[in-house]
Amino acid sequence: MEELKAVGATTQFIVIKLGEEQYGIDIKYIDNIVRMQHITRVPKVDAYLKGVINLRGEVIPVMSIRIKMGLEADVETKSSRIIILKLEQHGTIGVIVDEVKEVVTLENENIEKMAYDSKDEKASFLCGVGKCEGGLISLLDLNSVVLEGI
Amino acid sequence: MDVSQYLEIFLDETNEHLQNLNTQILSLEQDPENMDTINEIFRAAHSLKGMAGTMGYKRMQTLTHDMENVFSEVRNGNIKVNADMIDVLFQCLDALEEYNTNIRESSDEGTNDNGALIKRLNVIMSGDEGENADKAAPAPQANAPAASETSESAQMFRQIKLNENQQNVLKEADRQGKNVYGLTVKVQESCILKAARAFLVFKAIEETSEIIVSDPSSQDIEDEKFDLHFSLIIISEEKLDTVVNAAKSVSEIEDVIGGVLNMNDVNSAKEADEEEAAAEQPEPAPAETTPAQPVTEAAPPAEAAPAQPTPQDQTPAPAATPAPAAKKNTANKPVVNRTVRVDIEKLDTLMNLVSELIIAKNSLVSASTMSGNSSPAVNEQIEYLESVTTSLHESVMKVRMVPIESTVNKFPRMVRDLQKKLGKKMELYMSGEETELDRTVVDQIGDPLMHLLRNSADHGLESAEVRKERGKPEVGSIFLDAYQDGNNVVIEVRDDGNGIDTKAVKNKAIERGVITPEQGENMSEKEIIDLLFNAGFSTAKVVSDVSGRGVGLDVVKSMIESLSGEVEVKSKLGEGSTWTIRLPLTLAIIQALMVDIGNEKYAISLGSIQTIEDISPADVKLVQAKEVIQLRDLVIPLVRLCDILDVPSKKNPEDNLVVVIVKKGDKQAGLVVDELIGQQEIVIKSLGKYISKCKIISGATVLGDGEVALILDANTLI
Repeated sequence: MEELKAVGATTQFIVIKLGEEQYGIDIKYIDNIVRMQHITRVPKVDAYLKGVINLRGEVIPVMSIRIKMGLEADVETKSSRIIILKLEQHGTIGVIVDEVKEVVTLENENIEKMAYDSKDEKASFLCGVGKCEGGLISLLDLNSVVLEGI
Repeated sequence: MDVSQYLEIFLDETNEHLQNLNTQILSLEQDPENMDTINEIFRAAHSLKGMAGTMGYKRMQTLTHDMENVFSEVRNGNIKVNADMIDVLFQCLDALEEYNTNIRESSDEGTNDNGALIKRLNVIMSGDEGENADKAAPAPQANAPAASETSESAQMFRQIKLNENQQNVLKEADRQGKNVYGLTVKVQESCILKAARAFLVFKAIEETSEIIVSDPSSQDIEDEKFDLHFSLIIISEEKLDTVVNAAKSVSEIEDVIGGVLNMNDVNSAKEADEEEAAAEQPEPAPAETTPAQPVTEAAPPAEAAPAQPTPQDQTPAPAATPAPAAKKNTANKPVVNRTVRVDIEKLDTLMNLVSELIIAKNSLVSASTMSGNSSPAVNEQIEYLESVTTSLHESVMKVRMVPIESTVNKFPRMVRDLQKKLGKKMELYMSGEETELDRTVVDQIGDPLMHLLRNSADHGLESAEVRKERGKPEVGSIFLDAYQDGNNVVIEVRDDGNGIDTKAVKNKAIERGVITPEQGENMSEKEIIDLLFNAGFSTAKVVSDVSGRGVGLDVVKSMIESLSGEVEVKSKLGEGSTWTIRLPLTLAIIQALMVDIGNEKYAISLGSIQTIEDISPADVKLVQAKEVIQLRDLVIPLVRLCDILDVPSKKNPEDNLVVVIVKKGDKQAGLVVDELIGQQEIVIKSLGKYISKCKIISGATVLGDGEVALILDANTLI
């Protein structure tokens, strides 16, 4: 993420919760946030692909970040949301999150880059850690979360 | 005004002409004496030349011009058609196609002069004709008699009415010692883009001179609101000849008549003009298409008579009297409006909108049944809406359908080239060229078909000697048949060659490490043939120009699959092989049967469904540990969808089975479902790249209640 190097610049993140941990998703990738709805299962695909939903007439695949990151499966609650991401080359995909909290603006100097030699599977999906008043936010590297294994 | 707006039309028409030339030259080869063919070729070459000239593609123009000369000599009986000449002509067509591709990509024709080809064309001309060669060259262009005709009536520019302002400008120029000229430009009758021509004339003249006034007005000229001629008054420092020649250098300009205007002329011309107009008025006004000012309207009849007798290249009969000529023009106008060229993207948008409409209609249907208070009137209207949307969909589909002719037409030429290259004798027989398919499919089916034909020619057919030994006719036959079969279009490529040698394929596969020898032992013939579609597999012993690079059949397969089609091979050693391509008629909206499996809803395309049967569990037999049923003397394998889709069935095992019999080609299978929901028109949506692994699902659709249902691809289940 080259833009993180620029000094003094800021990046906006949407803070989401998966379990107890807070994660940040770069706002430029986010197309939409919708409530949990019925997901049509697609047979014979990897477990993290939950199926497809209808978003205003378009059929959009939905994946579970939890399963992808090796956490326990999603439990659907009132605060569950599907975040619709738009990735340049790979089109639109929805990811399920437990809760959407807020939007934060992080100054780039408050973002600490992750060491890449980490062997931890969960860590390889992160591109950095942001510090703000609410505590630490793990910043998701969407390209590796969404695209790995496809 | 800019020529680029004509670029699309130019490219399209050039393609058409090139295709036409290809076909005609092929038939000329068969029947060298056929005057109709020669005339047709000449016409096409001539139009090509004209169009290239209009667009300012000089190299293309030169090449077509020389080709046209050859045809013109052939037409006059001065040269005989021979094989060598046909070869050269084909090479010319290839060169033209190259120009065309260049233009499409960069709007520039490239820098290849094709001098060698032009030289060979000239050799053909001079070889048989000697001294005539030089004379022939300018023949189709300049019309000598017309040039000498500078009678007063042809100088239409003298009739231009000048307003005071313009007169002052001219007088001022005259005083400064500049020349004031009048020009009347006549465009050839066969010219297609008159406005573009006029534009080029304007451009050519403006290089040296200043255009003061034009008749009709430049706006009208730009809108093509003029007959065959227009007049200009210009101020120039150059000699009259220079200006006239500059204008004449634009192609398809039949003639340019110029004259010096002196200031007295300007005034007297105006008076004379009025007099003339007055004199002409009492005559019955001839039918004129452009509602021009009365002054100019009087001009055509006075001028048409002397201008007509100029020799025309291809008008069947030079019109004798002005009246029919005028009539012909009025009759021609509406013809232009019969067809419309539409950007394919606009059709795509239209198709998408129709899809949305159908989804909305489906929602309306389910909403009205859900609410339960549907009155008969509402139902009636919904049914009416349903029939309208279905017809609308069909109409839009039809608009998008084009005959595969445009794609397959290039194949006879290709087979001819292959014949020379491979040194085999072969003949291509085509049928069903009029079969229609969606435009996008037709555009993309060309390459796979070409691969298959080349494959048949290279691997399939034996050499003439071998064929003779085997007691086959020396000339091999390749057949290309297309026809519609239910909701599919089938294209077959068949040859009477050697067929596929399964042993050779098996050995090759083992050698290449595609399969192990043990695997090879147990493979059925069909499985072995399917190996051919493996990437990087080619049995040709020598890598040839034609095929044998090992990229071929796997590409064919993936291309056809990307069009939601499929390809199949049948082969008999020694007798030939048949490749069958099956393509869906439509890519966007289909009629489907909705079924329940477990708690999920699935759609099965109605096109592949034969019947629906109610089968007692007792009738299910086991053959080789696979479940089958017997139906009207046919043994049909059963596919339990709940197992394949990993959903628990809701049904009691003792209950009768609901079996949907689907077919693919001549094979059938019975799909066991829980419940039938009904028939519905559905819009196919792609599942996207993330979910491409699932082969049995061909797409998804949005149901009336907003839920997504998956579409089963019955073909993969058979």
